[in-house]
Amino acid sequence: MTSIYQINSATRIRFARRFLISLSRMRRASTLGPPSDEEIRTRTRRIRIVSYSSMAFAVGSSRAWSRALVLKIRNRARFRGILRNKCLASKKKRVIKRHKVSREMSKTDMLRRLVPGGAGMGICGLLEETAHYMTCLATQVKVMQSIADHYSK
Amino acid sequence: MHPCSREMQGINYVLNPSSQIPLQDLQNQQHQQIQNSPFDPSSSSNDDFLDQMLSSLPSSSWADLKSPWDLNPPTSLNIPINNSSAKPREDETPPSMPENVGFHNFDESVILAAKLRQHQISGGPSPAVAAAAKAMLQQQLMMATRGGGLPQNDVVDGSSFKSPTRGDGSVQALYNNGFGAGSMHGTGQASNQSQQHFHHPQAQNFSTPGAGAGMAMNQPQASGSTGGAPAQPRQRVRARRGQATDPHSIAERLRRERIAERMKALQELVPNGNKTDKASMLDEIIDYVKFLQLQVKVLSMSRLGGAAAVAPLVADMSSEGRGGAGGGGDCIQATANGGSLPRTNSNSTQTPSSNDTLTVTEHQVARLMEEDMGSAMQYLQGKGLCLMPISLATAISTTTSHSRNPVLNSNHHSLLHSNGEGPSSPSMSVLTVQSATMGNGRGDASVKDAASVSKP
Repeated sequence: MTSIYQINSATRIRFARRFLISLSRMRRASTLGPPSDEEIRTRTRRIRIVSYSSMAFAVGSSRAWSRALVLKIRNRARFRGILRNKCLASKKKRVIKRHKVSREMSKTDMLRRLVPGGAGMGICGLLEETAHYMTCLATQVKVMQSIADHYSK
Repeated sequence: MHPCSREMQGINYVLNPSSQIPLQDLQNQQHQQIQNSPFDPSSSSNDDFLDQMLSSLPSSSWADLKSPWDLNPPTSLNIPINNSSAKPREDETPPSMPENVGFHNFDESVILAAKLRQHQISGGPSPAVAAAAKAMLQQQLMMATRGGGLPQNDVVDGSSFKSPTRGDGSVQALYNNGFGAGSMHGTGQASNQSQQHFHHPQAQNFSTPGAGAGMAMNQPQASGSTGGAPAQPRQRVRARRGQATDPHSIAERLRRERIAERMKALQELVPNGNKTDKASMLDEIIDYVKFLQLQVKVLSMSRLGGAAAVAPLVADMSSEGRGGAGGGGDCIQATANGGSLPRTNSNSTQTPSSNDTLTVTEHQVARLMEEDMGSAMQYLQGKGLCLMPISLATAISTTTSHSRNPVLNSNHHSLLHSNGEGPSSPSMSVLTVQSATMGNGRGDASVKDAASVSKP
């Protein structure tokens, strides 16, 4: 059964390519000199989004989670202002959530929250998507790590 | 939803918050469905059996019923086989005699039993068993008639006399045969005996042999054919697991099997996937996905190549409510060693630390963790330490030496000494205890991920 979830090398190459291209695009656009904290934060976030989006695009529309991720990123690009407020609101949410954490979160709910597009699936599909998503995340991490290693030498 | 005492039921509740079909309800449904179906021989009790038979059999098949009980058995009794045709068979069966009419009074139950048996035999799934049952039936009938010793042309009394006995004998022969006994002798004896006390036990014998016939009918079938529809609750258990008359239970079973397949596949993907029960397996999966997402986040930070910037980022991360200190600590580890030169200088200045400073540090961190996670992380960062869950710490320590990072080792500040198991256990335990005691108020991941301070 694991053979289904093995990522092709083609996918990995596609991901690496897209990621590098978008990274170089970002580097070109960055300001010179020591970046401020705020800038670093935004750049971190952007890089993270870029990595997820390139992974989703590399996988294509064959998987439900990649489709959902692509949609989310596209919507995110449109409503950036709302995202900015999300950081401030999350502090409040965290306190409230702690009181209710034992009751409301079942394991499948948490899993749905983690896997993109997991809200609209049954358990069966959710598990399958989770497996594929996990393998894609692992390759993502490996590729990014090797890139980081390469550039830090 | 809280898992129930029975693990699987709990998992069902967890996994099916909307479907709400726990195992017990499913069984109840099965029972109800089986009781509701009229001509289903799988009644739960023998008391209902006759009622069901009497109510369900169509009256059009009365003509068929007469044929097996005719007085003059032919040499080849192929009678009971063809019950589908409405006409009595002329070639094989004896001519239907007027005495047959008289059968109705007391033969009713027996005839119904025979009819039921024929239905089952002819409708039985495995032709081999059906053929065997038919052969048995033929033999029994022959034996019964021989035991009865009938003349062919009888007075009504005689015929009525004989037929119940024969019916009784044959039914009882069936009954005996159901137990696999070579009871041809018993058949004759039974029929002889029943000839004698024919009047009194008449009514009783026909209720019990009716039920007995039902049971006898069903037993050869169910025990013989493993794939047959189960007749009674007792035999339903014995029937093969894959067979169920219920489309609901079949669908449920398929679904459960599919879920089990997927869980097995996930088990192979996740490290530490040796958990047997689904709940802990799901926990592992969730933790692993969170861990991978955090790794991506950390790596996106390290791409910027400045770990002096890590501290505010760490504070930012912890304030975002990420899953506990452990997650944040993990990031810090990778970042600090992911190629940040200014960091290594500060790290190298701190190398040896006595136990005192370590405990002091721990107390400080514990106190800070009470107030604000971010400040605790910053404090640790300032000391060149980081916070990570123990499980990850042990995992990383074992894999660090051979896996990816030459960078990690070259800076040498691989957080965990590769020779050791991880951070010194007293510090681990102390901080664990502290975080546990503190974390009770929070009830959050700070308790779940026991934190450990590790020195670079």
